[in-house]
Amino acid sequence: MHVDNLPVGSHAAPPQGDRTPSPAPPVVTARRVTRTYGRTRALTGVDLDVRAGEVLGLVGHNGAGKSTLMRVLAGLEACDEGTVTVGGQEASRDVAPGTGPFRAVRMAYQETSLCPDLTVAENIWVSSRHCLPRLGWRRAASRAVARRLDEMFPSHRVAPRDRIEDLSLAQRQMVEIVRASLVDRLELLILDEPTESLGPDAARSLYAYVRRLTAQGTAVLLISHRIREVLSVADRVAVMRDGAVVAERPAAGLGEQDVLALMGAEVVEPTATPAPARAAGERPVVATLRGATGHGLHDVSITVGRGEVVGLAGLAGQGQQQVLERLWRPVRRDTTVAGTRAYVPGDRQRSGVLPLWSVAENLIVTAMRGLARYGVRRTGAEDVAVRDWVDRLAIRGGADAGMTELSGGNQQKVIVARAFASTADLVLLDDPFRGVDVHTKTDLYTLIRQEAAGGRSVVWYSSENAEMAHCDRVYVLRAGRVVAELTGAEISEERIIAVSFAESESTGAQR
Amino acid sequence: MTLRTLARPWIWGFAAAALVWVLILAISNQGGGQTVSLALSLAPYLVIVGLGQMLVITAGPGNIDVSVAPIISLAGFVAVQVTATTGSVPVGILAGIGTGLAVAVVSVVAILGLSVPPIIATLAAGLIASSLTLSLADGFTAVPDDGLRRLLNLRPAGVPVLAVAVAALTALVVALLRRTTYGRSLLAVGQSRPAAERAGVPVARVIAITYLASGALAGLAGALLAAYIAPSPDLGTRYLLDSVAVVVIGGTLISGGRAVPVGIWGSALFFILLDGLVNLVGWNTAAQNLLKGGLVLFVLFLAGGGTLRNPGATTRSRRRLRPAAATTAGTSTGENSNG
Repeated sequence: MHVDNLPVGSHAAPPQGDRTPSPAPPVVTARRVTRTYGRTRALTGVDLDVRAGEVLGLVGHNGAGKSTLMRVLAGLEACDEGTVTVGGQEASRDVAPGTGPFRAVRMAYQETSLCPDLTVAENIWVSSRHCLPRLGWRRAASRAVARRLDEMFPSHRVAPRDRIEDLSLAQRQMVEIVRASLVDRLELLILDEPTESLGPDAARSLYAYVRRLTAQGTAVLLISHRIREVLSVADRVAVMRDGAVVAERPAAGLGEQDVLALMGAEVVEPTATPAPARAAGERPVVATLRGATGHGLHDVSITVGRGEVVGLAGLAGQGQQQVLERLWRPVRRDTTVAGTRAYVPGDRQRSGVLPLWSVAENLIVTAMRGLARYGVRRTGAEDVAVRDWVDRLAIRGGADAGMTELSGGNQQKVIVARAFASTADLVLLDDPFRGVDVHTKTDLYTLIRQEAAGGRSVVWYSSENAEMAHCDRVYVLRAGRVVAELTGAEISEERIIAVSFAESESTGAQR
Repeated sequence: MTLRTLARPWIWGFAAAALVWVLILAISNQGGGQTVSLALSLAPYLVIVGLGQMLVITAGPGNIDVSVAPIISLAGFVAVQVTATTGSVPVGILAGIGTGLAVAVVSVVAILGLSVPPIIATLAAGLIASSLTLSLADGFTAVPDDGLRRLLNLRPAGVPVLAVAVAALTALVVALLRRTTYGRSLLAVGQSRPAAERAGVPVARVIAITYLASGALAGLAGALLAAYIAPSPDLGTRYLLDSVAVVVIGGTLISGGRAVPVGIWGSALFFILLDGLVNLVGWNTAAQNLLKGGLVLFVLFLAGGGTLRNPGATTRSRRRLRPAAATTAGTSTGENSNG
């Protein structure tokens, strides 16, 4: 958890008693809002007020309807029934973002909305052109974005001329948040999982800026799975479950366990399965990197044993993905991989989901190859495998639902199942559990341990250090080098953080 | 979902063909059966080329084979020459297919090896083919095999033999797409290349096979067409635009990931009958092409959701994936507002 050391309650004390109306007028009001996609009822009657000058935290499991509600509040979608009132004006059915009352509502997306081929400044123009001069917009946008980046993320290292696709995930997220905040009149800023790809420093400076914003009367709606983070930043917390807001509480005096209890019936604390601390030498080796150098790596040596879960930890963008890339496509001499591989991408929108297909078709596409005889599919065997995995991971919607009808967490389950349904000896996980709720995560952790016990090897990059507790062995990377190898009981969040940050000044200078 | 996307799109080509057929009946006093029989003997060539083009277009955005026209012309000469030299029709046809494969190899090397955009790569391969055609056409004396020509003109009970054979070929392509790992892989690559790559689909191999298949089918069409009409450097010219048009009108997604082989038959018959109708009315070729171009644009407009207000919306929501919550305002209001 990034922002543990944020001072709690440095902002104005929230109003006492959760049913007493706040003196500040509501900026956005939702009344009995429903929304249905195909057979999925995403919203089943939501009542929510967001008041001027407050930070409202919104929590809930994946599929609880958070994203849909946000899209309705931002004017991206109309609701089926109910009303949305923005700044005292009731929104019409025929909505479009950035028009009418929705102009003062801005949203920073978890999967950023930036055009990868455009520069930072050009992206600002795309979303804020109505606030930019017609001539000389590029300079105006560059200046505005540079200033706001400096204000929000002092250590951003982003130039307005940089192309989005050249930026790291964290930098893209920063630009996305800045993009959302850059507008002439901002009444409500919606932040959807803003810190999932940010480092702790950036998260801290973001929340400092959020407090300055709310002091000026802007409302901020914060969606996050990091409940402690929400509790430390928000004035009020709204809990969503099954498409409705089931509780609205002042954040002060609320504990993490209370929120978890409100979110779902059974509280599951992701407990680390005690990993059997076996030495790597006992196992037959499945994959090795011997002094791999180039493409962002410097002399990286890694071995993966059979049935072993190997973690790649460290700050985001320190070469972990390059290691996965080498293992996925072992074309160089310094990499040897014995056996077949499967890959679970973290960026599911871009490199995970096949949008025209159903859940079953998405799930089986990798395993199909192994099941087929002479290139001809065996649909019977495929159906059995699909049914097995849909049950095993309790994928909501079932095998025949369209992939795009599923919520993000369920889509991620399908993509994880896709890899594990195959006969691959080595499964590569590229930070796949970002923005996935606690229940799903716990299921998937169990799955990983089960599969490893069955003899499969897993290489797992995660930006969430707590997840590394599920690994047998963890390599901590910094600036493309392995700076530590932790085994068994040595693996702890504190230890990983300590190793990731040591000498960070010198690595900062190198980049 | 699958029902909606699979069952619907191919109907329109057949419906349009039927409409044009009725118009022809109304204008001329020709027998209706004869018109259909004639259309069925011309359509197969277009269907063969169209099937190849469909596979290529299904491979995703940017994929198109513009070398089909020069391949048809070149394969026509090669097949006639080889048949005349060896005296064997099957060897001649195989030589035609081989010609298509050879040209496609050039395209594949350029696309995969040199990362040339497919439209440029196939254009270059096509230019090589057409220069070979011109050098072959100079002083060409061989005549098409008479037996093959008679076979292609054979119409027991009004149904051309070739139409039956190409119908079987179409069924084969349907099975290929549904039942084989290659077919599924192609559809996956067409929906999202990065996702297919991460799912373990051998993307380069799939792309290579697809262009080779398109080249081979164009070569086959050229070999048959040269025997049916006569080898000429312009033999394939009209098949470039027509092959793309029949694929699109047939319901295959221009953005890739969904192929509708049966639809090609409907739209090919529609095109052939439309030619007949326009000839009957007395329009010239320029007007015909204008009409066809307009039709393709119209179909693309309909396929894009038919919304003027938000033209990019449907293509985008199809191409870029987002969670269910993510269809753009323009499309989702249309589909879901009655819920």
